[in-house]
Amino acid sequence: MSSSVVFKSFTGLLHSSSAQDHHLKPPRRRTTFRVSASKTSPRLQNRNLRVAVIGGGPAGGCAAETLAKGGIETYLIERKLDNCKPCGGAIPLCMVGEFDLPLDIIDRKVTKMKMISPSNIAVDIGQTLKPHEYIGMVRREVLDAYLRERAAKNGAQVINGLFMKMDIPKEGGVKGGAPYVLHYTEYDGKAGGTGVKKTLEVDAVIGADGANSRVAKAIGAGDYEYAIAFQERVKIPDDKMVYYENLAEMYVGDDVSPDFYGWVFPKCDHVAVGTGTVTHKGDIKKFQLATRNRARDKILGGKIIRVEAHPIPEHPRPRRLSGRVALVGDAAGYVTKCSGEGIYFAAKSGRMCAEAIVEGSVNGQRMVEESDLRNYLEKWDKTYWPTYKVLDILQKVFYRSNPAREAFVEMCADEYVQKMTFDSYLYKKVAPGNPLEDLKLAVNTIGSLVRANALRKEMEKLTV
Amino acid sequence: MSSVAISASLQISCSSQHVTRKVQPQASVARPSRYVGSKQVTHVATVNIEAPKGLSVAEQQERSGLPVDGPNNTHDKSEHSLETEPSAPRFADERWKKGTWDLNMFVKDGKMDWDCLIEAEARRRKFLEVYPEASTNEEPVLFQSSIIPWWAWLKRSYLPEAELLNGRAAMVGFFTAYVVDGLTGLDMVGQTGNFVCKAALFVTIISIILFRKTGDLENLGKLVDEATFYDKQWQASWKDQNTASPADKSGKNV
Repeated sequence: MSSSVVFKSFTGLLHSSSAQDHHLKPPRRRTTFRVSASKTSPRLQNRNLRVAVIGGGPAGGCAAETLAKGGIETYLIERKLDNCKPCGGAIPLCMVGEFDLPLDIIDRKVTKMKMISPSNIAVDIGQTLKPHEYIGMVRREVLDAYLRERAAKNGAQVINGLFMKMDIPKEGGVKGGAPYVLHYTEYDGKAGGTGVKKTLEVDAVIGADGANSRVAKAIGAGDYEYAIAFQERVKIPDDKMVYYENLAEMYVGDDVSPDFYGWVFPKCDHVAVGTGTVTHKGDIKKFQLATRNRARDKILGGKIIRVEAHPIPEHPRPRRLSGRVALVGDAAGYVTKCSGEGIYFAAKSGRMCAEAIVEGSVNGQRMVEESDLRNYLEKWDKTYWPTYKVLDILQKVFYRSNPAREAFVEMCADEYVQKMTFDSYLYKKVAPGNPLEDLKLAVNTIGSLVRANALRKEMEKLTV
Repeated sequence: MSSVAISASLQISCSSQHVTRKVQPQASVARPSRYVGSKQVTHVATVNIEAPKGLSVAEQQERSGLPVDGPNNTHDKSEHSLETEPSAPRFADERWKKGTWDLNMFVKDGKMDWDCLIEAEARRRKFLEVYPEASTNEEPVLFQSSIIPWWAWLKRSYLPEAELLNGRAAMVGFFTAYVVDGLTGLDMVGQTGNFVCKAALFVTIISIILFRKTGDLENLGKLVDEATFYDKQWQASWKDQNTASPADKSGKNV
């Protein structure tokens, strides 16, 4: 925050002294501070910068809020304002503080995790949690609505509309500050209304419209591999619900998913039972049945109240930004491997992108350029790349086969592992470990892997 | 049955599967019966290896009997529910008690028979892969393979491997000696005194240790690819930046 204030006063100074020629020739880099290229871009006349945010999820909501706060004319376009997206709904502790979330949108505070291996060895994770630490479980319809409302309160204009397509200015136009023209169908909230086709001119676009992003398509962002996640919301009897009061379960095994995990997460008054896979999407129903079967006794007598499925991106899109259009959240592909977590990263990327625009436009007074949006990408990759990479390695090593999963569960029984995992999950910082403990962990893990693989060899002998 | 509620709704969610079951009863019967086949093989192995230890006859009958009758039952029930897996066979072994192996029953001649335990656990895991079992809180699985000492694993998995490698090394060595003798006229004894031959021997041994199987080289390459794949996916968005003007770089915030 302080840095942007410094920039503000500085650019004001720059503007008055060399208003004419700075556009032609970028200022020389100085050693004391670096000047962003856009600070040289033309001042906007009689209006502030206009930015459209497509999609009203956590990414869109947070982006719109930050933009509006930063003095930018913000439009948030979302089709389904009451959309309850199928989603695990887990948020880390640090999100509550960073995004100032009220505690009442958190349905449950999960303090215990159970990992269950293919041979049904159950390991309790979470003994290392401090009393105030927990994983929050939210319903997306509640969280999304809250974030959108907050954006609206800060001055963003929320439009109930379906984004259709966008006219991108010609090559020179992107540089020259020509507007993007968005085509959307506006709904006035009346049921059965067909909607009115409208257009909107904006200077920059943030695409936060999820896995099937139309913005991504419009800028030719390319595709990503995706996993399919299947989830059933099951209302289980009260006496069974007691067990899931503050406990989430993760099932691993070839039966449940060949490359991910199956889960039972507590929701407000029911549980969500689901599983996901990248490699065997066609068999998802089979895996779901297996997940249900593994949790059978605990969800016995439950009624399914909702069935949902949705794609989860596996890696970022080849292009996350083009001209003055940037992608955030699921649209960009910011979901971690291994845990499949995306809400926090979506919200964070939305905010980071918006901050880059606010800063680049000097609170909406100037035009932004691609380089300003690049700042967001650069910062994002620098901050979160290690997290993504670590989880990718974990997934590759431990979700590979049943023996690897057995070793994974064994490893998770270790208190040091639990402490490290939770610290990095809850606070989203890769905490430096204790070298001695790390070494011990490495030896133990390799031991577990060797044992599990030796058993696998025995199992192979048995079939012959 | 309390599971009727959940199963009734399951029917809706998985109706496509359900329909195929209804239309083709044979298919649903056929699948378990395939398992029966493989399991019976397993079962034979059971008898061979530890017949003296003995699974009780009743249990054996139960285990082999259930799957055969099972499909009919499951099929009838599947009219109402898909979650009738309770009728799927559960793992049973007289040495498996309260979620762990009863180590006292593995004592042979006053000594712990770890081999037998490893086999038993392998069989249990194999069984669970075919018939995944529900995890319950009433009877948690407590057995941990870490209680088996390291030398028991070594004896089982390492020794056969070592034998294989030694045998291979000996064959390669013998053949090489033969070829060298034939080409240079240097006999066995002469070769052992020769520096070049010694070096060649060393290289051979190292390469045999490194590449035990023909697939190893390929696997190594695959592993490298796999390890860098994610990095490439992430770096893709920076590819087009290389052409961008240096002003972009200077735009970095401090």
